[in-house]
Amino acid sequence: MKKTIQIPLGSQHISLLEPIRFKFECENETIIGVDADVGFVHRGVELACTRSFEFKQVGYVVARVCGLCAITHSLAYTLAAEKLLGYVANDRIKYLRMLMVELDRIHSHLLCLAHTAENAGFEALFMQIMGDRELVMEVQEAISGNRVQFDYICIGGVNRDLTSELCDLVRKNLMILSEKVEVLIGLFDNNWSLSLKYKGIGVLSLEDAYTYNALGPLARASGLATDVRAETSDFPYEALGYTMIVESTGDIHARNFVRLREIVNSIAMCRNIVDNLPMGEIQEKVKGKPKGEEIVRIEAPRGELFYLVRGNGANILERVRIKTPTFSGIPAMMEVFKGSQYADAPAILASFDPCMSCTAK
Amino acid sequence: MKFFTTFRKKSPWILHYNAGSCNGCDIEILAALGPKFDLERFGVINTGNPKQSDIFLVTGPVTYRSRERLVELYTQIPEPKVVVAVGSCTSTGGVFRGMYNTEDGIDRYIPVDVYVAGCASSPQLIIDGLVTALEILETKSKAIEKPFKLFGAIETIGNKLSRLNMARKVDNDEN
Amino acid sequence: MTKIETTLSTLLLDIGAFYKPKEWHFLTVNGIDLGEGKIELQWIFSKYGVKDEVVLYYALSDYETPVPSLVALIPSSTMGEREIVDMFGLTVEGAQKGLYLDKDSLPHPLRGDV
Repeated sequence: MKKTIQIPLGSQHISLLEPIRFKFECENETIIGVDADVGFVHRGVELACTRSFEFKQVGYVVARVCGLCAITHSLAYTLAAEKLLGYVANDRIKYLRMLMVELDRIHSHLLCLAHTAENAGFEALFMQIMGDRELVMEVQEAISGNRVQFDYICIGGVNRDLTSELCDLVRKNLMILSEKVEVLIGLFDNNWSLSLKYKGIGVLSLEDAYTYNALGPLARASGLATDVRAETSDFPYEALGYTMIVESTGDIHARNFVRLREIVNSIAMCRNIVDNLPMGEIQEKVKGKPKGEEIVRIEAPRGELFYLVRGNGANILERVRIKTPTFSGIPAMMEVFKGSQYADAPAILASFDPCMSCTAK
Repeated sequence: MKFFTTFRKKSPWILHYNAGSCNGCDIEILAALGPKFDLERFGVINTGNPKQSDIFLVTGPVTYRSRERLVELYTQIPEPKVVVAVGSCTSTGGVFRGMYNTEDGIDRYIPVDVYVAGCASSPQLIIDGLVTALEILETKSKAIEKPFKLFGAIETIGNKLSRLNMARKVDNDEN
Repeated sequence: MTKIETTLSTLLLDIGAFYKPKEWHFLTVNGIDLGEGKIELQWIFSKYGVKDEVVLYYALSDYETPVPSLVALIPSSTMGEREIVDMFGLTVEGAQKGLYLDKDSLPHPLRGDV
């Protein structure tokens, strides 16, 4: 007689935002093996970037790879293209781009926390966090004109300026938000039922994090100190008060806490950016056609985003390689599932904050 | 059955499926369910079960691997049902039009009642689309609506319509 | 970015001597079609805790030559290898087809002649 049973999860499930299908191999309630099918949303963006669109349009196309971290995709592509064109943005453009990336990180982390709370069965907390998240969405809409998919970054600058009224709105909303995040930190740390669902569950050890090349909040929760913001010099993160957040236990609780503390850090950085915004043009003319090969790494909310762009001096690029955070995080995620209970699977999955649109492109 | 029609309008449950979108519309649907826009004041609850749903919210231009799932979910929703296509790429293919692994919009596969524009659609537009969908739901009858493209066929087994084969796999090789 | 040339036959030795899990982060496997049946394969690493240090191993190959698998050295390379199998129609030991593409999808879409 067969000792194990197979339980499928997905591709359509209430706890999944996006289609992904798992096949859990279970022995009683314990998961001993897991297989994932991640290709449900493969659209073929990489080919379209090198066939149908000119290099000036590609920045807006790659934003449609993922709606949650659209800004990091367009930023990574734009940086690569600007490096190929030999253009260096001025400080104001850099600061405005950083502001939007950090705002995006805040709203993405809040969504992940809300989703984790919902999958742990805490519907009221989901509603509370979604309500708090609207503060950031309001700021993003005011600055860029759209709530998600704001095509804010273009080659040679940004598309809209930050006026002093907008600065006041950013300060006001982030002030309210930072108080709310303090409340959330207390709740995630002390709430009894959340602790039962989170503490000691879904552990990724430091050794496994190194072996499976974990990245982003998943790695930092296990104590692996890696953050592309500290490993690249494209943006002056250190000058604006960036600190790397590292936890050590590697369970769902630690991942939530990395996200919560990163939100606090990002809020502080956004305030610094708004207070110390340099003067300058927001858009400059960039001439030429991209020629050569360039790689760019940007810290997206879920980890390292990698772009490789190769051009041959024509309007159409030769190759755009997109490596997204969830894509390389999947082997580590599969490792975490092994040995945990099936009932915890949705909560563990939500704590990874997986982004399938990113993975499949 | 007039009795149930009243309640169906007062508490429409939605089924959400991502057929290859970029997540933008999906998080806007979540935001619309959240406290600021509060879709639940129309009685709307997001359910994961097609058998209990009235409104089918679809996002995304339909990738090759999600085709059978889309038709399968559509056929499992009991009549009367309304399909809402959320977002530009769901309606026409949008930016993904012509990419090698997508179909251009869900209306190649299933009949769509409401198209919601925008990339990404804002929660206001989604709510507007849902309210329009509720009006359409009232006028619909229990007649079976067929999807446009089927992978199998509707059969008659013992005087009853069987829709089991409607969303058969493209290839018989199960993987 | 440091670019180091290697060949497919010496790849496992080169990367085995170079890669230390606690020092280097394995980014991804990448393929670039050079036209006329040639393909450039890249294995990209970045260093933990050091600014802007990226090492890129590259090897020239064609569509038919089997690509050695790095899974024994780097378990997380399995995703990237499955991707190049799908996208370029290459053969990699132990990597299955069908990560992204279906039976009736365009086969090996990133090849130059598609």
